[in-house]
Amino acid sequence: MRQPFKPRQSRKHIGGYRPRIDGLEKASGRALYADDVAIKANFPDLLYAKVLRSPHAHARIKRLDTARAEALPGVKAVLTYADPEVAALAPTSAGWTDGVDTVSFRRMMWRRFCDRRVLSDYVCWVGDEAGVVVAAETEAIAEEALRRLDVEWEVLPFVLDPAEAMMPGAPAVHPEIAPNNVLPADPVGGNDVYLSKGDFDRALAEAEVTAEATCAYHNANQSTLENWCCLAKWEEDRLFIWSNSYEADQTRMFVSQTLGLPLHKVRVVCNFVGGQFGRNDTGDQPLFIFTALLAKKAGRPVKFKHTRREAFHDSRQPAVYTARAGARKDGTITALGFKALGNAGAYADHTMFALKFAPAEAAEMAFAHIPNLKMEAYGVYTNKLPACMMRGVGNSQLNLSLGHIVDVLAEKLGMDPIDLAVKNFGHAWEILPDQSLSAVLREGARRIGWEQRHAPGTGPLREGVKKRGKGFSFHPGWHAEWQELRRGRIQVAMRLNPDGTVMLDAPTVETGPGSNTCNVLGCAEALGFLGITPAEIRWTSVVDTDKGLKDTVQTDSAVSFLQSEAMVDAAAELKKKVLEAAAAVLKAGPDDLDIEAGRIFPKAAPEQGVPFREVLWQGDLVPIAVTISRPPSGEKTGVPFLAAFAEVEVDVSTGKVVVEKLVILNDCGTVMYASGAEAQQLGGQVAGLGETLFEEIIYDQATGVPLNFNWIDYQVPTMADMPDIEPVLMEVWRGAGEYGACGIGESVLTCTPRAVLNAIYNAIGARIDDIPVKPEKVLKALAGNGR
Amino acid sequence: MVRIKINGRWRELDRDKDLAPAMTLSYLLKEVLGLTGIKVSCDEGACGACTVIMDGKAVLSCMMLALQADGHEITTIEGLAKDDPVVEAFAAQSEPGYGTALQCGYCTPGFVMTAKALLAENPVPTLGEVKEALSGNICRCGCYAAIAQAVLRTSEKVRAGGCR
Repeated sequence: MRQPFKPRQSRKHIGGYRPRIDGLEKASGRALYADDVAIKANFPDLLYAKVLRSPHAHARIKRLDTARAEALPGVKAVLTYADPEVAALAPTSAGWTDGVDTVSFRRMMWRRFCDRRVLSDYVCWVGDEAGVVVAAETEAIAEEALRRLDVEWEVLPFVLDPAEAMMPGAPAVHPEIAPNNVLPADPVGGNDVYLSKGDFDRALAEAEVTAEATCAYHNANQSTLENWCCLAKWEEDRLFIWSNSYEADQTRMFVSQTLGLPLHKVRVVCNFVGGQFGRNDTGDQPLFIFTALLAKKAGRPVKFKHTRREAFHDSRQPAVYTARAGARKDGTITALGFKALGNAGAYADHTMFALKFAPAEAAEMAFAHIPNLKMEAYGVYTNKLPACMMRGVGNSQLNLSLGHIVDVLAEKLGMDPIDLAVKNFGHAWEILPDQSLSAVLREGARRIGWEQRHAPGTGPLREGVKKRGKGFSFHPGWHAEWQELRRGRIQVAMRLNPDGTVMLDAPTVETGPGSNTCNVLGCAEALGFLGITPAEIRWTSVVDTDKGLKDTVQTDSAVSFLQSEAMVDAAAELKKKVLEAAAAVLKAGPDDLDIEAGRIFPKAAPEQGVPFREVLWQGDLVPIAVTISRPPSGEKTGVPFLAAFAEVEVDVSTGKVVVEKLVILNDCGTVMYASGAEAQQLGGQVAGLGETLFEEIIYDQATGVPLNFNWIDYQVPTMADMPDIEPVLMEVWRGAGEYGACGIGESVLTCTPRAVLNAIYNAIGARIDDIPVKPEKVLKALAGNGR
Repeated sequence: MVRIKINGRWRELDRDKDLAPAMTLSYLLKEVLGLTGIKVSCDEGACGACTVIMDGKAVLSCMMLALQADGHEITTIEGLAKDDPVVEAFAAQSEPGYGTALQCGYCTPGFVMTAKALLAENPVPTLGEVKEALSGNICRCGCYAAIAQAVLRTSEKVRAGGCR
C-alpha cells in the first residue's frame, strides 16, 4: 500500500480511490469499439475500403486508369478525384477546430491554411492519401484492386528539412499558401514574433548574466492501440456514421457542411475509443467523406479502417527551440526569449497552435512577471508526415526549452535552479512567489532527494562505469475552467427514476481518462441531498448525435470536471423539482419542504422526515428530468503548476541511460477521481519516457520514405522498460466553481523529457540537446566534453 | 473440414467456404465468428492486443493462420468464466500509487489473456516474472504498474484459496 493523496476538502465521492465504472465491461472484453461494431456479423452486406497511398514524397497523378481494378471480381465501387462529387469538394484544413468546440466551415480555426483536398491528385508525403479509394467484398480484394490501378506519376522534387525548405529555390509544398514554405501570419497564431513585451533585445544586451540554449523535439507518434475506423451507411437520404472519432457533434457538423446535408440527415455515433492522445484532434477527417461517398456509390455500407502503418498519419509537432535569457546577479530574470522552428510536414493542421498559440498561453501563465519577452516561431512545410497534437499541443516542446534555459542560467548564476524558478515564474493573477509552483517544486525536491544532488558530472563512479544525476522541469498547467469558454455551453441531463436511481446523460466519448467515472462521482456528489451512491447512477455511454445533447469533447481530461461543474446546477434544479413532486404527494407547499440525505421533511418539523423514494413511489412514476446548458465559468483564476523530477543512471562506457526514478507532480485544484488521476500521471510516462529515450520516426533521406511505421522498429515502451514512478497529486491552486479543478491528462508528461535531460547533464556534465537520447548521442556528448 | 475447439465447443469450418488459405486466426475469430473481445491493433505481432490461449499457451492470433488451429483448443476472452479472477482484478484495481489497470481498455483483453496463461503456468510469479511475461503487450495509456499489481493480487487471491 502506497501513501494515498489527502484531499484539501473531504467529500463523499469526489476525490476518492475506487474502481472505474467501465472496469468490468472493458476487462471482460465486452466494451464495444467501432471496429467491433463494423463487422460482417452485424452488417452482412458490408464492404471494405482501401485508399491509395502515395509512394512518392512529392508528386502529382498525371494519368489514372481504373479499368483493371474495376474489372476485378468483388470490387463494388471505385471513387477518384475525377468523380464530380469529389471534385466539387472545397479545399479544407485538417485543423478545422482543435476538437473542443463545434464550428462551421466558415468559422474554422485555420482558414488561411486550407491545404488539403479529399482524394487529391496532388500528394506531399510518402503515405499521403492519393486520389483513389476502392470498396470491395474483402480487404484483400480491395488491396489487390489498388495494385491493379494504372497510375502515371509526375514525380516532383521534395524537401524534408525545414531549414532547407526555407532556402531560395527549395521545392514549394503548397506554393499558393506559402511560396517559401513558411506558414504566413494568421489571425489565430499571430505574426512571426507572436508575443513581444518591453524591449527584449535591449534588456538582454544590458543584462548582468546571459544564457542561450538550443534543443530539438522530434515527431513522435501518438500510437493509440485503436486505429481510425469508420462505418458509413446510407438510409435513403440519411447518412449514418459509426466511428471512433472522439467528437461526435463536430464530426456531424463537418460531414454536414462538407457534403451539404442538413444536420438532421447526419447521425454520428461514437462509443468507446481505444486511446486519443491527440491523434484525432482535428475536426476535419477526409476519411469520413470518402467513406460516405463510397458507400453512396456502392449502395452498401462501407468500412474504412487504418492499418497500424496507416495509423502513422499524424505526429507531435517537432520543433527546434532556441532560448535566450538575461538576468541580474541576484537571479532576477529581466529578459526571456524563445525562437522556434517547426517542421509542419506536408499539411499545416495545428502546427501554429503548437508553435504559437500554446506557447503564448504558457507565457501568460508563467512569464507574467518577466518585464521583457520576445517569442517568435516559424512553421515550415516539408514533405514529411504532417505534425499536429500529441498529449498537449506545443507544451512539451516549449518545456524542453524552458527547463533548459532555467538550468543553464542557474548554473551561470551559481544558483539552485529551483530557487531561480520560484523567484521568477508565475501568472498575472498572483504575486511572486507563486504558491502552486513553490509547492510542486519543494515537494518534488523532497521526494527525489534534491539536497543530495552533486554538481554536474562530479558524482561518484558506480561499478566503474556508471554515473547518476538528478534533474527537474516545471510548467504552467492549462485547461482550467476559464480557458474552456471556447467550448460554448456544456450540456448534461439527469433523470431521476421513481425508485431513486438516476440516468445520467453527460455525453462525452470516453477515450480512456476516466471522465465517465468522474461524471458519476460528480453526479453522486451533486445529488448528495438524495443520499444516493455511484452504483445507483447509470451513465449512458454511447454518444449518439440523434439523442440531442452535445458531447463535451475529451481533451486533457478536462471533462473530468467540466460536466461535474454543470451538474451542480442540474442538481439544484432537480432538487426543486423533487420537492415540487413531493409537495403534490404530501399535499404540502413545495417551499415548506426540504430534503437532506434522502429524507424529505417539513422545514418546520425536520424530525418528521420520510425517505424520498417512498414519496416518489406514491406519485405518477414519471421520471423527474432536468437538462442544463451552461458555459464554463469565465472567472480568471490563473492556472496551477506541474513538475517532473528524474534520477538517471548513465553508463559512460556504452551511453545507455536508465531512468531510476521519476516523480510526477500535478497541482490539480481539486482531484476529481484519485485512482484515475494517478493513472494519468503514471500512464503519461509511457509516451513521455518513450519520446525521451526510444521513440523516433526515421526517414530515408534519399527518398523521403519513412522507415519505421510499425511498433517493432518504432519502440513504444513496454512494462519491462518502465521505471518506478511516484505519482503526486496536490491541491494548492483553486479555480472557480464548486471544484475549481484543472485537466492534467496532457500535462503529466510535459516536463518528463527535460527533467531527464537535465538529470543526464547532472550525471555526466555534458549536455545532450535533442531527444530521443540514444546511446550514441551520450557517447558523442561525453567525447565532446573531453571526458 | 477444419475442426477447432473454441471456448469449449468444437466448431467445424469449411476449408474453402469459411476459410481462405491466408486467413489469420484473429480474422477468423473476430470478423467471421464475431468474437469481438479480440482487438486487432498492429496485426503484425508487436502489440499483443489479439492474444488468445491455445492449448494453455498465450499466442498472438494475428501471427497464426486460422488453418494452424485445426485440431487445437482456443480460449478467447469470451470463454472466461463470468467471475474470472484476472478479469475481476483488472476491473477492481484502484489502490493508491498504482492508478487503474485499464484506461481506454483496448489492450486489456490481450493483457488479461496473457496474464491468464502466465498464472496457469506460474501461479505465484514475482514482479520480475510478471514484467517479463507481459512485456509483449503494449498499453499506450500506460497502466503497466496497475496491471502488474492486478496480476500479483490475483495470484495472492488464488493462493489464499479465495477462488479458482
